[in-house]
Amino acid sequence: MSQKADTELITHQMFLKIPYSWSTGAYIGAFLKELRDSGKIYANKCPNCNRFRCPPSPVCGICHTKMQDRDKWMEVGPRGTVIGFSVVEQSFLVPTTGEMLEVPIGVGIILLDGAPVSLQHRLQETNSEKIKAGMRVEAVFKPREQRQANIFDILYFKTIK
Amino acid sequence: MAQRVAIVGIGQTCHTSRRPDVNDGELINEAVNNALADAQLKIKDIDTVISGNMDFFEGHYLNDAMLADYTGARGKAGFKMNTGGTVGTLTFISGCYCVSSGLSDVSIVIGWEKHDEGPTTSCITTMADPAVDRPFTVGALLGMALISGNYMNRTGCRLEHAAMVRAQASENASRNPNAHLRDRYSVKDVLNARMVLFPLNLLMICPTSVGACAIVLASEAKAKRISKKPVWIKDHITVHGEYNGNHYHNQFDLPGFPRTTTQMMAGKKLLQRNHITEPLKELQVFEMYDPCAFVQMSWLEDFGICGEGEGWKMVEKGMTARDGVFPVSPSGGVLCTNSIGDSGTVRVAEAALQIRGDAGEHQVTRNVRQALVSGFGGAFWTDLMLLSKSLD
Repeated sequence: MSQKADTELITHQMFLKIPYSWSTGAYIGAFLKELRDSGKIYANKCPNCNRFRCPPSPVCGICHTKMQDRDKWMEVGPRGTVIGFSVVEQSFLVPTTGEMLEVPIGVGIILLDGAPVSLQHRLQETNSEKIKAGMRVEAVFKPREQRQANIFDILYFKTIK
Repeated sequence: MAQRVAIVGIGQTCHTSRRPDVNDGELINEAVNNALADAQLKIKDIDTVISGNMDFFEGHYLNDAMLADYTGARGKAGFKMNTGGTVGTLTFISGCYCVSSGLSDVSIVIGWEKHDEGPTTSCITTMADPAVDRPFTVGALLGMALISGNYMNRTGCRLEHAAMVRAQASENASRNPNAHLRDRYSVKDVLNARMVLFPLNLLMICPTSVGACAIVLASEAKAKRISKKPVWIKDHITVHGEYNGNHYHNQFDLPGFPRTTTQMMAGKKLLQRNHITEPLKELQVFEMYDPCAFVQMSWLEDFGICGEGEGWKMVEKGMTARDGVFPVSPSGGVLCTNSIGDSGTVRVAEAALQIRGDAGEHQVTRNVRQALVSGFGGAFWTDLMLLSKSLD
């Protein structure tokens, strides 16, 4: 064998492109439909330990109690307070699209007005020096005809005074 | 535990960013052979084989089937773990269950990952609920960034302290021949690294490594015959959190609902039931699963090692250094070496080496009688293990 053959390392490659179609479930599905149809954000409450969930959940993760049915859901937001944030500066391959993420992206944990519950979503602001915990923000929805019962029916949360 | 369990063999590969010279099986086989050699056993002496990694990282479904020849599983009991960051520790804990139940006398647990084969952050991202969480998820990194900022807000910790943690880790890793990132960095070097996602820069987050780690576990009767320096598993605990992918609600104080992490729950229970009231004295080393620089400080507090807001002060005072009064991750930790499926297994192995006095250049200066080991992963889940030199 030649020296090159001795040191040559062979790799074998695979590129996955696999279609999936996930059921969103009765509660998350109804939450997404409300984003599309009414432009409203809903949360629900555990009648046992009083924890809220947004999007609403059928079962409490803390005490495993059945949470409030659809008729008792309460509207929260669209305004809220940033309690945690980051700005993503480095791109990576997004597994759901197969494309690289466009950066920078502001991400916030938003304590929504109306209930002690938070939602993770994009922030319009992408300069980390201009984002502070305690900052007030408001959800900006897509125009009604463009909404698709998708979490991005809310475009982002914009900074308000 | 019903039957006492001891670590009687430890084997690691060295860790690096790429190993194109071996396939997954060849990598694992190195660790298995090293652990069997350390225990002075042959594969026929093992009755249970448990392996662990994340299938999606390498793109091999059911890889324990494909790897049976290399793990030595033929004709033996065993199963496969696949639980994210905790996979390494949960693989170890599963081995403990098999022995402590009395169904197995000698088991081998193998954690491994070959991150040079697939897009790790993209794969981790698929853990999140696809409809509402995944669009915002950046692997494990976004959660780390959010709780790091929160830690600074809550306690007054600054970026400099995270840099001190990383500089200390680099000093430790430079002494550990099996560590991946072994270059030494100053606090200034760390602060000057490229931003990945605020407030975490490239040196404040763990790398993606290639490596495997195997541990041989034995029952009390067998362990005393096999090993002159058995390391006893005094206790272990696993705590899952509620799913928090969308809002990390247990990581933040919400009105009326204070922050409650799985580290808090695990630490409280484990320390309490082992009657540990002065952890800084009663535990001599902590090999922590520390995937980013801030959490090493934050989780010292959450585990109950020190009070809230004292973690960064411990670092500032040099208490967590290898030769400090409470060394944390003297191996260099996950911050310097992270083959996810073996990150937890390596923590256990490194803590056991400290108890045996076999850690070489990165041996701590304290006399180690008890060691704490943590695993982290999934939806902020925690494994916590207490290892001991003696059976008392």
